[in-house]
Amino acid sequence: MRYSHRLAAVFAVVMLVASACGEGDSGNTTTTTGAQDTTTTASVDGMLPVVDPLDVTGDIVTAGSSTVFPLSEAMAARFEDEGYRGRITIDSIGSGAGFERFCEQGETDISNASRPVKDSEIESCRSIGREPIEFRVGTDALAVTVSPLNTFATDITFEELAVLFSTAVTWQDVRPDWPANPIQRFIPGTDSGTFDYFVEEIFDEDEAPILNAANLQLSEDDNVLVQGIEGDGCDPDDPATTCAVGFFGFAYYAENSDQLNVLSMEGVEPNEANVDAGAYPLARPLFIYSTADLMKQKPQVADFINFYLTHVNEEIIDVGYFPAPPNALEAAEQAWLDAMS
Amino acid sequence: MATDASTVGDARAASLKKRARPVEMLIQGFLFVAAAISIVVTIGIVYELGKEALLFFQSEDVTLGEFFSSTTWQPAILDFGIWPLVIATVMVSVIAMLVALPVGLATAIYLSEYASERSRGILKPILEVLAGIPTVVYGYFALTFMTPLLRSILGDGVVEIFNDASAGIVVGILIVPLVSSMAEDALHAVPMSLREAAHALGATKLETSVRIVLPAALSGIAAAFVVAISRAIGETMVVAIAAGAGPKNFTLGEDSLFGHILNPFVAGETMTGHIVRISGGDLSYDSIDYNSIFAIGLTLFLITLVLNMLSRRFVARFREVYE
Repeated sequence: MRYSHRLAAVFAVVMLVASACGEGDSGNTTTTTGAQDTTTTASVDGMLPVVDPLDVTGDIVTAGSSTVFPLSEAMAARFEDEGYRGRITIDSIGSGAGFERFCEQGETDISNASRPVKDSEIESCRSIGREPIEFRVGTDALAVTVSPLNTFATDITFEELAVLFSTAVTWQDVRPDWPANPIQRFIPGTDSGTFDYFVEEIFDEDEAPILNAANLQLSEDDNVLVQGIEGDGCDPDDPATTCAVGFFGFAYYAENSDQLNVLSMEGVEPNEANVDAGAYPLARPLFIYSTADLMKQKPQVADFINFYLTHVNEEIIDVGYFPAPPNALEAAEQAWLDAMS
Repeated sequence: MATDASTVGDARAASLKKRARPVEMLIQGFLFVAAAISIVVTIGIVYELGKEALLFFQSEDVTLGEFFSSTTWQPAILDFGIWPLVIATVMVSVIAMLVALPVGLATAIYLSEYASERSRGILKPILEVLAGIPTVVYGYFALTFMTPLLRSILGDGVVEIFNDASAGIVVGILIVPLVSSMAEDALHAVPMSLREAAHALGATKLETSVRIVLPAALSGIAAAFVVAISRAIGETMVVAIAAGAGPKNFTLGEDSLFGHILNPFVAGETMTGHIVRISGGDLSYDSIDYNSIFAIGLTLFLITLVLNMLSRRFVARFREVYE
């Protein structure tokens, strides 16, 4: 009797501790470290001077896009791993809010953005004496995928996507010549930039339709999504079977392309060439912004951007995005050199 | 006579008191601290849980009424109805108990009443090995073995890739060793004289086991069940991997009761599974989503507490004392 109570109490405690620990971890994003192989590597084409993070001091304040956030987080973690001793703040508040703090309050040194800066924002930046410089760091693209057993869906439009991920019950509701199999949806969690981007593009920033959809599975773990979509048991000839659909970062699809089928978007086949050329509609560039004055006044900011541009391609796949086209990255490096000259 | 004995006892206690026993005191002190730590930790956890949950309920986006009446849980759009999560948790636990109780109890009866020394020597270590397997392994066992098995029996159209049934069955397998070992202890503790008396009255071995020994050990067995239920409710890894990654939201009256709401073959996220999934993302500390997981934690805690209190009543009522 007493034994059982004690056991139950201990168990309850363990359970709660476990959940508390899980919560404690929640603020951290995974940081991939590649410290060993990098300290000696110069920039890819040797355009930028080599930074030794050990020599960099002073704090850096950044804010902006939640999509760029994990990438900046990974770069900052690596910067710190390699010896940077200052403090770097990265606030995930959205591109627009990021520019507000960069251009109106002038609080941040670097602004993260998942879209180019708007003219109005450049105006307000200039009014406080800041001339933003753009650095392209990568590309975010979404892949909408179905299981290999799903033989009917090969392409889709934005309007159909909006129906598919909200009110539709069967695939037939999306396109009349598709079979009447029920839809199951696998999407990234609501905290992810991928989710935000999809909602922005397809639902005009209104989260309610997609989150109210039936048969919805959300996970921050892309593996869960892949497993779910791959194992949907879809059989177009048997309307009782569910056929799954899901979306996530394109880079992640590329790693699992043998297990999944990807849909063409508005007639454009998703591949690296189309993403680079800007033809694939569910793709967007990722930027960081700063100013020449800031970079000169605060050498740590210039050093961090330099480090960022130099090593971004070694981290970006792990984070789940596409590398920027080589000429865009080169242009960013040139912009850094121009700013510092 | 009685007075004599107590006087002697008092005198002896007094003489014992006089001698200082530093080592004894040290050990006593150590044991006290060890016991106190678990209490302090429990109080700390309850306090933290309560504090954060209070923050959640103080928010204007949620009311206690909504929390206990709404049937939609989707924190990102401020839908906080606990029922989809509770139903999934209860469903997984019930399925787990349906597996664990008969199997565990039968194992216990076999081990305690029937097994020869040799088969005991083989079975017990195997059961202990079963108890030692990490739950994450059980999770993938559910996803990659149990779900395909269910699908091959019931058809792909019936069983979804993530579902409460396979998670529940595997949680049941997971707690079989717990049930069987606690129940066996209880059966073992029944005095031999009871069995001998039953045999002397002409009862068969089965009659003795089921009608004499089992009722006599009922309180201990009930305790085993309650611990097992608590374990099933709190089990996290298996459900996080195999039960689903989204709350099974529903509308009463609109969604069919057995086709959707209580259908164990479709995905349905449990309370523990939801806490794990949500805390895995980049959740900011001040958000209501973050506070909501403490409210779920508190609900879980209360459920386990009530179960424990009920079992205490139950056990006290059915307890049979011999000698």
